Amino acid sequence: MMGRPTGTGALGRRALLKSSTAALALAALFGRPTRAAGTPWADRPATRVDRLNFVVWTYGDIYTKISKKFDDDWGVPLDATISSFNDHPTKLMTMYAGGETIDVSQSSPFSFPNFITQGLVEPLDGLPGSDEYQKNFTESAKQVAVVDGKLMGLPYFSTVWVWNYYTDLMEKARFEPFKTYDELLEQCRKAKKDGICDYPIQWVAGVGLEQLPGTWYQLTWNRGGVFFDKAGNHQLGPGSIARETLKWWIPTFTEQLADPESLKVQFTTSAKAFCAGKNIYRGPNHHYGLNIINDPTQSPIAGKVKVMGSPGDGKTIGDTHVYFLCSANRDKEWAWKLLQYLGGRTKDGAYTQANNLARDAMLGSGYASVMKSAAITEGWKPWGDPEKILEIWDKAIYVGEMCNSIYKPWHFPWTDRVNIEVQKALTGQITADRCCDTLIAAIKEVQKS
Amino acid sequence: MLRHIDRSDQGSAEKLSALEADHDSGGALPAAPKRRGSAELSAGKLGVVMNLPTLATLALVLAYPIGYAAYLSFHKVTPAELRRGVFPSVGLGNYQRILSDPLFLLALKNTLVFTAVTVVAELALAIAIALLIGQRQVWTSRVTRFLILLPYAVPPIANGLIWSFMYNFDFGFLNRLLFSAGLISKPVNWIGDPNTALFALTVPYIWRTLPFAVLLVHAALQGINPELFEAASVDGAGPFTRFRHITLPLLVPILVVLLVLRTSFAFVVFEEVLAITQGGPGDATWVAVWYSYKRSFAPPFDIGIGAASAYVLALIIGALALAYVTMIYRRIE
Repeated sequence: MMGRPTGTGALGRRALLKSSTAALALAALFGRPTRAAGTPWADRPATRVDRLNFVVWTYGDIYTKISKKFDDDWGVPLDATISSFNDHPTKLMTMYAGGETIDVSQSSPFSFPNFITQGLVEPLDGLPGSDEYQKNFTESAKQVAVVDGKLMGLPYFSTVWVWNYYTDLMEKARFEPFKTYDELLEQCRKAKKDGICDYPIQWVAGVGLEQLPGTWYQLTWNRGGVFFDKAGNHQLGPGSIARETLKWWIPTFTEQLADPESLKVQFTTSAKAFCAGKNIYRGPNHHYGLNIINDPTQSPIAGKVKVMGSPGDGKTIGDTHVYFLCSANRDKEWAWKLLQYLGGRTKDGAYTQANNLARDAMLGSGYASVMKSAAITEGWKPWGDPEKILEIWDKAIYVGEMCNSIYKPWHFPWTDRVNIEVQKALTGQITADRCCDTLIAAIKEVQKS
Repeated sequence: MLRHIDRSDQGSAEKLSALEADHDSGGALPAAPKRRGSAELSAGKLGVVMNLPTLATLALVLAYPIGYAAYLSFHKVTPAELRRGVFPSVGLGNYQRILSDPLFLLALKNTLVFTAVTVVAELALAIAIALLIGQRQVWTSRVTRFLILLPYAVPPIANGLIWSFMYNFDFGFLNRLLFSAGLISKPVNWIGDPNTALFALTVPYIWRTLPFAVLLVHAALQGINPELFEAASVDGAGPFTRFRHITLPLLVPILVVLLVLRTSFAFVVFEEVLAITQGGPGDATWVAVWYSYKRSFAPPFDIGIGAASAYVLALIIGALALAYVTMIYRRIE
């Protein structure tokens, strides 16, 4: 039989009761549960909520899964308001203007400065675990989520701009992937002349933030140009690489080398259109279009589309979309908890959503640890060559570095003008010079307004 | 009992009162409490009372938003300011800005073209179709009457999507049909070509809204006395003369209504633009409501500008409606 512990280091029953009571009283007084050190994502917030909500754009069934997990883990049901990507800013801002409660939402890097200006985004600095998240951010995620030194969001996904080509038509035409833009034009002209296909190239140039402007940004950057320098000065003047790129781009439409649907398609619809097997090249656009084009359930040409980098030194652009904590939340602690489920760690400490997005939808992550994990290196394999894409990834910069206006609230309305003027140039209504001159003038207009 | 008595029916009303009085005095039923004259409202007052709920509802759902939008159009309004409920006044600044914006002026021009094409086409088609389905000797006209209404049941946004597929350059039904019929030798980029895009938008719009016009004209045609046509035929008038001198003049009142309604609705076309072109290619299909929508509900969410542009549009519609009515009724008189 063991004797009762005695001595200075031992705790008697009375003393134990006293200290426990004191600890409980202190916990109740400060309203905070005891936390396991280093695992803030696993702690239950001290406050109580009946439910939480988030406002996002649609992407498969990712939100059904993560909502169920949140409810299972914390017993708090989630309400989701899900609209299309293009309608999301409108939906979110009308809800906000209408005085509704919004706990968490998401943003493209292009809308984010506007949301911040409108006071919709709550900084995350000082929230438990926020520093650890930041340390794990990729450079692209940092560029979007950290604004004026403050952490304003957690990454949803990251992507880089790549090219795709359809191997059947390439073999039929006896082409090798192009190495210069002149070679691309030559190949397209030859393919058209030889009757390989009517429209050898499909640009992703529909109206939007990342389609038409994104394609122009990428082509310009790859050719060594920028849109705005670090000081915010435009680089669209006569002789600029952006202007010369547009001059090079226009003949692909006027010579009918580009599929006329190019000016309508968004990133997903462009991937679906490419599945028809009527074009040789598609791009440059998000790498994850492959998860549609090479998916046998969606594409008749699945498995026959390869990824390639850009000509020259292969440099390209990328971006990161973010989730953010909304200032119209009902409870900051719980909203932070929900935000972590969408853009950070779940209760078990895993980056569940980021891993699922990689394995289910071929999305990249804004977390360095996820980008190095099997979720990417193995998870992307059903649709593409992860090694090749990661090689391209290493040559990508965040789009804001070559188009500094993305950090400004006026970038979005200026993009409206880019969409209009560049489409006019590509459809032969105006020249590239006039297009760029109009866009230069529009900078001042949107800045003023 | 509160009873509305029309003046023309005064005599029978007096008889009814006398009968009631007789019943009250001699009948076995317990006497009803006597009513004083003040309990019964005059026709005018009753009219006001009966209309009050409607007026209140209209004031709530129409007048308030219209007034509020006017208020917003003179202020700087963003979602954040809407949430706070405090808006800085900008006077006529929003109006000055839109009237100096080439895109707004272009959107107005596109709207005018769109409206002119759709209204003229709808009126012509509505009269033609209504005359056709009004032919009682054609047994299929009953089926046609039903079928002609179907597009009206299609939600506008669904209509836009349907036509978006129809217009698809590579796989669209329209190009395939025209190609099979030998009318085109290569696909036409209907909505991707700035020269055709706006006109391509008018077709789905007319397809969706035509049934309403057909219905009204068809109903008006039913109201024309057939003896007029018979008498004209006896006098040797041919079908065209009968149409020109009998049908058309008698349709004028309904055509005025149609002109006003169709113009107002065509001016605010939105759904087809949203679903089919989103204003593109370039600015080829930017119309006035699309402009208001983009200014209000896309970053930087300038709702004051959106409200001002909507008001300019409303003023134009109002002026046009007034002009129509004045001009056509003056001609009738």
